[in-house]
Amino acid sequence: MIEVRALAKSFALPRKGGGWRWRGARTRADAPGSGNAERRVHAVVDVHFDAPDGRITGLLGPNGAGKTTTLRMLAALISPDAGSMRVDGIDVAARPREVLARLGVLSDARGLYPRLTARENIVYYGALHGLSRDAAEARTAELARMLDLTQLLDRRTAGFSQGERMKTALARALVHDPPNIVLDEPTNGLDVLATRALRESLRWLRTPAGGSKCIVFSTHIMQEVERLCDGVVVVAHGRTVATGTVDELLARTGQRDFEEAFVELAFAAERAASEPLP
Amino acid sequence: MKRSLAAALVVLRKELRDALRDRRTLAIVLVSSVLMGPLVLLAISGLVASLESRADRREVYVSGLAHAPTLRNYLERQTYSVHEAPPDFEARLRRSSFDDPVVVVPEDFEAALVRGDVPVVEIVSDSANQRAEASTSRIERLLGGFSRERALLSLALRGVSAQVLEPMQVDDRDLASTQTRATRITGMLPYFVMLAVLYGALHAALDTTAGERERGSLEPLLMNPAERWALVAGKWGAVACVSMLIAVLSCLSFLPGQWVLRSDTLQAMFQYGPREAALFIVLLLPLAFALSAVLMAVAIRSRTFKEAQASSTIVVLAVSLLPLVSVFDLGGEAPWHLWAPALAQNTLMTRVLKGEALGWSQVAIPLLVCAVLTALGVWYVSRQLHQAAVK
Repeated sequence: MIEVRALAKSFALPRKGGGWRWRGARTRADAPGSGNAERRVHAVVDVHFDAPDGRITGLLGPNGAGKTTTLRMLAALISPDAGSMRVDGIDVAARPREVLARLGVLSDARGLYPRLTARENIVYYGALHGLSRDAAEARTAELARMLDLTQLLDRRTAGFSQGERMKTALARALVHDPPNIVLDEPTNGLDVLATRALRESLRWLRTPAGGSKCIVFSTHIMQEVERLCDGVVVVAHGRTVATGTVDELLARTGQRDFEEAFVELAFAAERAASEPLP
Repeated sequence: MKRSLAAALVVLRKELRDALRDRRTLAIVLVSSVLMGPLVLLAISGLVASLESRADRREVYVSGLAHAPTLRNYLERQTYSVHEAPPDFEARLRRSSFDDPVVVVPEDFEAALVRGDVPVVEIVSDSANQRAEASTSRIERLLGGFSRERALLSLALRGVSAQVLEPMQVDDRDLASTQTRATRITGMLPYFVMLAVLYGALHAALDTTAGERERGSLEPLLMNPAERWALVAGKWGAVACVSMLIAVLSCLSFLPGQWVLRSDTLQAMFQYGPREAALFIVLLLPLAFALSAVLMAVAIRSRTFKEAQASSTIVVLAVSLLPLVSVFDLGGEAPWHLWAPALAQNTLMTRVLKGEALGWSQVAIPLLVCAVLTALGVWYVSRQLHQAAVK
């Protein structure tokens, strides 16, 4: 169970190099009227969503909408300027380590250690989560079965394909059997078969047999959301602009095609963004 | 706390395994540190042996030998073998293809000698030609002997005592022990050992920090519930272990290195037994720990391994140059030398080679400096870790 409320985060822009911009996000002077006009980029302005257990919640938004920043804040990598986040009722800002113990994150950066085997990569994280060696090994074997990774386990990850890397990174993120799973654009760079396999794994994790996990899944690909997600959170320009199931969002926009619905919602957000902030 | 220590151990074990898997880098570092001792000693002993053999040779080259039968007679009585110098000796001396100074005798040497004039005899050498230069003072002494003999003879003919010419006697007394004298030659050993430790730590330190950033594995690592300082402590421990291994190996490498010493004199002067090796290790370990932490602190700010290599140059340079202070600074040892890392270790290791005793305070000051550097480095890396992960 993940609850995110009124989350906001801005970054200071480097003083030099005026042409440089945070990708896609809008910049403006921080507080109007303050003479010291430090330029800031507002990566996240107002993101809120609820992701219940046993459901897959899709965080859908264009590139640079603030999805990665939101998920990084959820994983306590960066601290928010405002807003609150709770994972299974635990406040992220107050008790980040307890939250991380209940969270499995497959982040944007999913580097493996090329000189270690897939098994060693996964067991390492298990040990860091405080699992005993046997428990970590057993859990690795179990995840390898689920993700069809068993053949690869004892190979060094140096020569792995994108799909093999992703699977290993996912197994590593899930090694402590977390009740909450956060995936940042997990299908980036994956082919059809690997994407399908990942979808299957996520569907299974959602079922009571798979542990009724709370899964949050960020993406910019409509089809994935349509095929997989029980709930959708549309994020644009750092704000949550719509929440609901795919059908609800279709009904709300009066569209039959989800892509059209998404563009309309994102476009509305763009208009809202050009108006002054409250 | 117990949990954090366990996490630090997990990181330590993993980083060590990772470092040991990097066979190529490890092999290069190990081979260079293990072979360094014997190789450096071999080079030194070759140099000393060549100087010794030259000093023992009793040969003298004279240009215009035919004009000076008296001089030739004197030289041969001193059991020197006298050779006529080659006609192009000046050019060859300049090119360093001729290794002996040449005595140039003028044509009217004998006649001038008989007349009681003072003939001018030149000793031709090239101060850029080290080997020829080394023999110059020997030839000077030899010719001085000839002058003295002539003078004594003429005085004796006039019935004057020889003591008139030498109203006082000058004797040499060298205070340096054999070992102290040897450090003029073996003094560079501590320097090589320190460089081995530095380069041993360098790769591991960069790989665990900037390398981790470059691979994109730092961000996932920080999503583990382990404390930051525990992660950093584990990484530092692994780097320190690697540099410790290098330090121990390179210190021990001088033990068998002694067998290759060709010169008997050098073998007698170079006292490096298990006691010296142990003292070297004791002095080097704190430096290895501090260097590991400092290199990590420098590297954590870099996004890529390459960038980190560039920024760590400053540390490499400092460690390479600081020991040279004792070479350039002719004022001798100053108290502040013990407070400068690398320079302190160099000074103390040189003392060990000289066979001097080490006081507790002398060991404690560098130890304290290294402990502070280590703590600062580890603290800085833990502070920077989160920022480094998301940038």
